[in-house]
Amino acid sequence: MLRFIGRRVWDGGLTLAALVTLTFFVMRLAPGGPFSKSRKISPEILANIQKTYHLDEPVWMQFGRYVKGLVTFDLGPSTRFRDYTVGDMISAGLPWSVTIGIWAIIVATLIGVALGVAGAMRRNSAADYVAGIVGVVGVAVPIFVIGPLLQSVFALRLGWVPVGGIGAGWRALVLPILVLALPNVAYISRLTRSSMIETLRENYVRTARAKGVGAARMVRRHVLKGTLLPVIAYLGPATAAIITGSILIETIFALPGIGRHFVDAALNRDYPLVMGITLLYGALLIVLNIATDLIRAWIDPRLRNGR
Amino acid sequence: MPSTPMTAEPLLSVRGLGVRFRLPQAEVTAVDGVDFDLARGEVLGIVGESGSGKSQILFALMGLLAANGGASGEARFGGRNLVGLAEGELDRVRGSDISIVFQDPMTALNPFMRIGDQLAEGLIVHRGATRRSAWAEAVAMLDRVGIPDPAARARAYPHQFSGGMRQRVMIAMALLMRPAILLADEPTTALDVTIQAQVLDLIAELARDSGTAVILVTHDLGVVARACDRVMVLYGGQVMEAADVDTLFAEPRHPYTQGLLAAMPRLGGETAPRLGTIPGSPGSDAAPGCPFAPRCDRRLPRCTVERPALVDRPPRRIACHLEAADAAS
Ligand SMILES: Nc1ncnc2c1ncn2[C@@H]1O[C@H](COP(=O)(O)OP(=O)(O)OP(=O)(O)O)[C@@H](O)[C@H]1O
Ligand SMILES: [Mg+2]
Repeated sequence: MLRFIGRRVWDGGLTLAALVTLTFFVMRLAPGGPFSKSRKISPEILANIQKTYHLDEPVWMQFGRYVKGLVTFDLGPSTRFRDYTVGDMISAGLPWSVTIGIWAIIVATLIGVALGVAGAMRRNSAADYVAGIVGVVGVAVPIFVIGPLLQSVFALRLGWVPVGGIGAGWRALVLPILVLALPNVAYISRLTRSSMIETLRENYVRTARAKGVGAARMVRRHVLKGTLLPVIAYLGPATAAIITGSILIETIFALPGIGRHFVDAALNRDYPLVMGITLLYGALLIVLNIATDLIRAWIDPRLRNGR
Repeated sequence: MPSTPMTAEPLLSVRGLGVRFRLPQAEVTAVDGVDFDLARGEVLGIVGESGSGKSQILFALMGLLAANGGASGEARFGGRNLVGLAEGELDRVRGSDISIVFQDPMTALNPFMRIGDQLAEGLIVHRGATRRSAWAEAVAMLDRVGIPDPAARARAYPHQFSGGMRQRVMIAMALLMRPAILLADEPTTALDVTIQAQVLDLIAELARDSGTAVILVTHDLGVVARACDRVMVLYGGQVMEAADVDTLFAEPRHPYTQGLLAAMPRLGGETAPRLGTIPGSPGSDAAPGCPFAPRCDRRLPRCTVERPALVDRPPRRIACHLEAADAAS
């Protein structure tokens, strides 16, 4: 097991290193620089600015400087918001994105798994139909429709929660979390349902029935693990996607999350910020994938010795 | 322990057992009108080719038919009819009074659970044993079915076992409960010949020692000769002939049984005799007559239109129009 963990972490590190290199060179090779087309700047000032940001050095030296900065968690100043470092901006935005992301995943998993299990155990029951409807709505209706819809009902009409912003504490996060969770509720419930129906057909479940262990123990001890394996495999990447992909939500609900910084940064050729956020996303994805693999191996002994 | 007292009354009494499956377009009959009794400590063999309904008889007794299947008829055990018994009631019988060894050992064990836990579970659920004592019993039983280093192996997972080892684990799991009835579906198919003999002897020994009755499903007439007291020959879901083993091997009367025995290489030979190939395959159950009629070389005109009843012709029971014709002449 230890070797398995070591192996996964090593692989993750390599992937991250490749990501650092790739993002750096892709950014530098793209035409245009942060100061090239904004306003007319006199050559002396431009040279000065370039010196400040070390843009006058050869690329490999910039790369070395960048890697050194990364190792010490110093990502340098943002070129767009000069008073802030990239670190400042990430640590201001990330907590919001992580908070709504994690809660959305938790909510989605609890509701999705419950609906899926209920649907699989009582096919064509009321619970099964509810899950089916949530599934269709969650997948088919885009966030930018469902978000404003919920805003108009629960914020404008009923006044239970604010329309947006962060002034109202946790209340402000309820709608964004729900909207972010909805497509995942849909997906997770369908995944759980089909996975459980498949597991119930397994011969080893028939063996458990033949042992007369009873329905409750059968589900708990013999069906749940097999059912949840694919769900867990989905949750890792889904968590990364939900944390990084909340740009739309942050815009609709006026939240100061990191997704909006990312878009701003890209539009303004803010190299350090774009790279900082890209690496953050990459690291997040890698860490979550490792976590997923470990949890899966913890559940399924067949995955432990492997690869 | 079995609640049935040792009297002339059979432990299990099956009458008119049928199994049907719903398919999108049609219904198929897998088992039709099967009658038999099983006494304490008796080993009953069921033979028949693939698809003849052997496994479905066992599943029907255990309430384990696939979701699209349904059983009819009667299976009296301990004052109850197992057919149509509610799941909760069945759970008191299953794994406690009646255990089953499934045909496919590769997929019958839970891949996420330690072998020891899977064995111990029955004792914990039915006998209220502690995990510790149940585990100890499980290890002892693994030893009895010939698993080397059982204490260590009990901690392993199914994927760390070969097919033969898994089959022995399944057998250990069933024997551990000291059931009144053991249903064994081709329990030795996955094992090599020497182990086969060991396992059969173990089952026979258990039947003798603890009065466990066994229904042994097999393709293999050699297994029948070695382990069974009585044998029931199945074709197309129906009983063709049933008798004690000596009678059936010495004087088979049904053309199908005769064909089976003729196709068998040599009794007591070194190679395990398998059911020989008789031309054709089990007929469709839509046909009204004897299921074997299309392949029977002594077919009478009525064989294809009228189903022969299963009649008592001591020392055998047989379903064949030739019997009636012989009796009349
Ligand atoms: N779920 C199902 N739906 C439809 N038909 C089924 C189903 N399960 C089994 N059958 C049919 O029931 C018949 C009897 O099957 P059964 O498994 O009892 O055969 P068997 O005698 O055990 O054969 P084998 O020696 O290959 O194990 C077969 O024709 C099979 O196709
Ligand atoms: Mg079978």
